[in-house]
Amino acid sequence: MADDLILDVQDVKKAYDGLEVLKGISFGLRKGETKVLIGPSGSGKSTLLRCINHLTVPDAGRIYLNGHEVLDDNIDAMRARMGFVFQDFNLFSHLSVLDNVRICQIKVNGTDKETATQRAKRELERVGLGDKADAYPAELSGGQQQRVSIARALAMDPDVLLFDEPTSALDPELTGEVVRVMQQLATEGMTMVVVTHEMSFARQAADEIIFMENGHIVEQGTPDAMFTDSVHERTRAFLNVIAEHG
Amino acid sequence: MNIFDVLLRDFPFLLKGLGVAIVLLVALLAIGFLLGMAICLLKLYGPKTRLVQWPLVVYERVFRGVPIIIMLFIFFYGLSGIVDISAFTAAILAMGLRSAAYQSQIFRSAFQSVPAGQMMAARAMGMSKAKAIRHIVFPQAARHAIGPWTNEFSSEIKETSLAYVIGVVELTRQAHYIITSTQGNVLTVFAVVALLYFILNRAGNSLLYAFERKLAVPGFEK
Repeated sequence: MADDLILDVQDVKKAYDGLEVLKGISFGLRKGETKVLIGPSGSGKSTLLRCINHLTVPDAGRIYLNGHEVLDDNIDAMRARMGFVFQDFNLFSHLSVLDNVRICQIKVNGTDKETATQRAKRELERVGLGDKADAYPAELSGGQQQRVSIARALAMDPDVLLFDEPTSALDPELTGEVVRVMQQLATEGMTMVVVTHEMSFARQAADEIIFMENGHIVEQGTPDAMFTDSVHERTRAFLNVIAEHG
Repeated sequence: MNIFDVLLRDFPFLLKGLGVAIVLLVALLAIGFLLGMAICLLKLYGPKTRLVQWPLVVYERVFRGVPIIIMLFIFFYGLSGIVDISAFTAAILAMGLRSAAYQSQIFRSAFQSVPAGQMMAARAMGMSKAKAIRHIVFPQAARHAIGPWTNEFSSEIKETSLAYVIGVVELTRQAHYIITSTQGNVLTVFAVVALLYFILNRAGNSLLYAFERKLAVPGFEK
């Protein structure tokens, strides 16, 4: 294991009812890197992302965060260090925006209310929602909800942020506001793993694109390399389809 | 003395009976709430072993499947042979334990109506299961539960009158005493009693609905 890896995923495998969804995936992330996972539906991208924080428990393989192995015993502490952004936001619907962003600081990290409030307001400003602190999730658009959920993850001061198709549930016009926030985070040096079909984001923000299919990593490389001269026929075909429709 | 003078004179007794009914109601609802919540949490979040789950299923089926009047007889006449138990205690136990079976169902469906993503997001943020239940799932489930719970509240108010059959001196029995002592006037006396039950029911429901409105989440469709 390389010492400077924030996140180190080693040979992760997962099967459902005998169907192998992940057939031994390894990759790593240095501080400040953004890696984008792409691939057709059913290729295992989301399962891989969920295996990283054990929302789905892998059958085999190891995951290290900052050199510490992610295990059942320390899972709550490890998850607190990994932000997770869901496709369908999953904001706590009974809590105001402000409370959504501070509750886990208080209840998980033990931060005092005053500090948590300051931090929450700062993160809401960062995603452009400083004026929505008192609103409730159901009063917000999808794009706004997703930005709150990003603020909620950021407020925990995570080592890495995991995005699971963060714009797939959004109208095209709302996608942009979320993608802009993610691009800004990438520029600011946040460490991120992003599962997405947003090729503009992948092209502009990714340090590396990982193309997955059938539970394997087919190919990985810089956006330039992947978009201009990917080695594998399959990668080219996939990117062409995305380019035509996306 | 006409019946209205009698009613006026004996009204304190009716109020005393109403007081007994209210204490019985509060006690049985409290038992039902605590035990019902415990059953619900064990069912949903407890070990999925038969040793734990089967007794819960049996409990629910028995207490929902036997008429309350039979339960009252069993708890009073049946148990009084074994332990020293007053009619009032027997009524609280029989009705409280039965209410627990119904309340556990109310809570279970309320918890299950909270989308799974809420628990998942809470866990993904590092909350333990217990913290996620307490801070995220429970507050949402509680809001879903108030509506159905008003039904349970209303039916239990009315059923407190059944404690009459094992000799608890609650509102209905006080009314019966007045009828017996005046030899008649069933319609008038029971009309007054009906009105008292009705007022109690409306007052309780109004409070519960006010509570529901107070907890309503802005922008959230019911």
